[in-house]
Amino acid sequence: MDRKIFILVVEDELEVMEALVNDLEQFEGYFPIESANSSEEAKQVVEDIYAAGNEIGLVLCDHVMPGQNGVDFLIELQTNNQQHNAKKVLVTGQAGLEDTIQAINNAQLDHYIAKPWTKEQLEEVVTAQLTNYIMAQRYNPMQYMMILDSVRLLEYMRTHKITDH
Amino acid sequence: MPTKAFSDRQELLKFIRRAITESPELQQFLRTFSKDEVLFRQGDPIPHLYLLLEGEVILNHQREDGTELDLITLSPGHFIGLVAFTTGNHSLTTCRCTQNTIALCIRQDEYETIMTNHPKLSNPVQKLMLSNMADRFQKNVQLESKMNALNKQLEDEGEQLKEAYEQLESSHQKLVHQEKMATLGELVAGFAHEVNNPAAALLRSSEMLKSNFGEMHLNDAFSQIFKLGLESKPVSSTDIRTNMLQIQKQFPWVKERSQIRKLAQMPDEALALILKHKKKVGLDQMVQQFESGKFIHNIQVASERIANLVKSLKSYSRHDNNEWEEIDIREGINDTILILSNRLKYLNVELDLKEIPKTCGKMGELNQVWTNILVNACDVLPNGGDITIKTKAESDFKIVVEITDNGPGIPEKIIDRIFEPNFTTKNQGAEFGLGLGLAISNEIVRQHGGFIKVSNLESGGASFKIILPVRDC
Repeated sequence: MDRKIFILVVEDELEVMEALVNDLEQFEGYFPIESANSSEEAKQVVEDIYAAGNEIGLVLCDHVMPGQNGVDFLIELQTNNQQHNAKKVLVTGQAGLEDTIQAINNAQLDHYIAKPWTKEQLEEVVTAQLTNYIMAQRYNPMQYMMILDSVRLLEYMRTHKITDH
Repeated sequence: MPTKAFSDRQELLKFIRRAITESPELQQFLRTFSKDEVLFRQGDPIPHLYLLLEGEVILNHQREDGTELDLITLSPGHFIGLVAFTTGNHSLTTCRCTQNTIALCIRQDEYETIMTNHPKLSNPVQKLMLSNMADRFQKNVQLESKMNALNKQLEDEGEQLKEAYEQLESSHQKLVHQEKMATLGELVAGFAHEVNNPAAALLRSSEMLKSNFGEMHLNDAFSQIFKLGLESKPVSSTDIRTNMLQIQKQFPWVKERSQIRKLAQMPDEALALILKHKKKVGLDQMVQQFESGKFIHNIQVASERIANLVKSLKSYSRHDNNEWEEIDIREGINDTILILSNRLKYLNVELDLKEIPKTCGKMGELNQVWTNILVNACDVLPNGGDITIKTKAESDFKIVVEITDNGPGIPEKIIDRIFEPNFTTKNQGAEFGLGLGLAISNEIVRQHGGFIKVSNLESGGASFKIILPVRDC
């Protein structure tokens, strides 16, 4: 596993960012976490990750932030050839109907988590989305059996005739 | 005039009657009609000219939609069918007798001969005809001017109705808005009260947790690092990234990324403490102690924030006493900024709130004014910008609040209209954008004895100056 798959958390309130990152701790052994406090910073982080030969599997993004808002950031991500594969989750208490429609239609939003979230809910969504990502990218699911949705991964292996070898 | 025309007509009729009496030849043209008999119908050709000698007829016109209209009642001395007689057109009316009637009835082709043969008749008939024509002309003129007057009146009334409707509509909307604000105020007051209790519980619990936790520590190192955690500040993601590289050098034996990140958020003092005790106490436990302190700290900060928000929400809406009272306007401005922090956090808000005297006002209502102007400023600065709020006392009697932004300014062609009710540049249906914000603001400021001055800055952007007198309650 030389190419690393990152989880990116974009959130402007530091306490909230910290809480999100803490709740995702259990994934870190497989999916290193990066964080950013604004869309602008997030873009730089994304660029650095890809420049280092790694990739982003999942973005968890707040909506209301100073500067560019979360939905616009996700839309921009979606238009990028390399980065649009990343699964996109909006974590917000404040995106209105219009913004959410925008995100679904133009950023291919994969999930919406309303604040305040629970750890179980967050883990469930992240597990499902990363599982989707691994299957969509046709990566070997074997190494993720412990951390992701093993039932779906096994089913995937069976239908795609992937073996351990 | 009608009396003169009437007497003229009677005079001429006398001559005509006499001429007929004297000439048996003329008597054959007399015809009698009984009540309700029809002389001719609308659309018929009229081959005769009738001169009414006795009785009465009524001319009736049927309109295209089928309704009937009684046009005119004719008395002796009037001609019937004069227009058709002179133009040869078909009749526009139906002529019906309302009494037993006698008329002189002359066929068109006989007219010339009869008149030539009976000069005694022809003279008064021609005069009567002229008088009839003059009469009709006069009536036409009167009718025309009456119609004009009626049209004008109708137009005026239409205009008044429109105005009244607009006023009604605008006051209706104002009422609805006031009602909304009142309901909102009630909701806010109720909500604030309800949230206050859990916020207080949170605050108290975190305080107790802090002291309990502090006492539990047997180990000095734990106690110290826990306290450092309590005092810690959140670290930005950029700093975390930089610190993580540093930590990797400082703690080369720590491999777990999540652990490295946690260390990267600790102050140097805490890191030194960990290094100092690394032989005796496990790193994981130290980190855990630090984090516990931090979590308690976070709970405290968050619950204080909730309590503050609730407090300003309550004082912002001032639901309990929206009365005239001595107020410091700056308090209201500060509350408003807190309430709008969600929207203002996109922007640089510069406050320059100089000392101003207290004045008599309604805090809740004035807060609506600041809110309206600030929300408008946020709307024209979707990509960020600067807002400046200044207060100053221009004299002992005059307070000026100036709110400026560096947006695009207000287009010159609408700057005079922005205080009109229902004037909006926003789409209908949004929470804001009723087109009433500035109209209501203007009204509120007016009730406080002041006025709003709006202008565009030379540097771009708009300036709203609210000038208020200093008054006693």
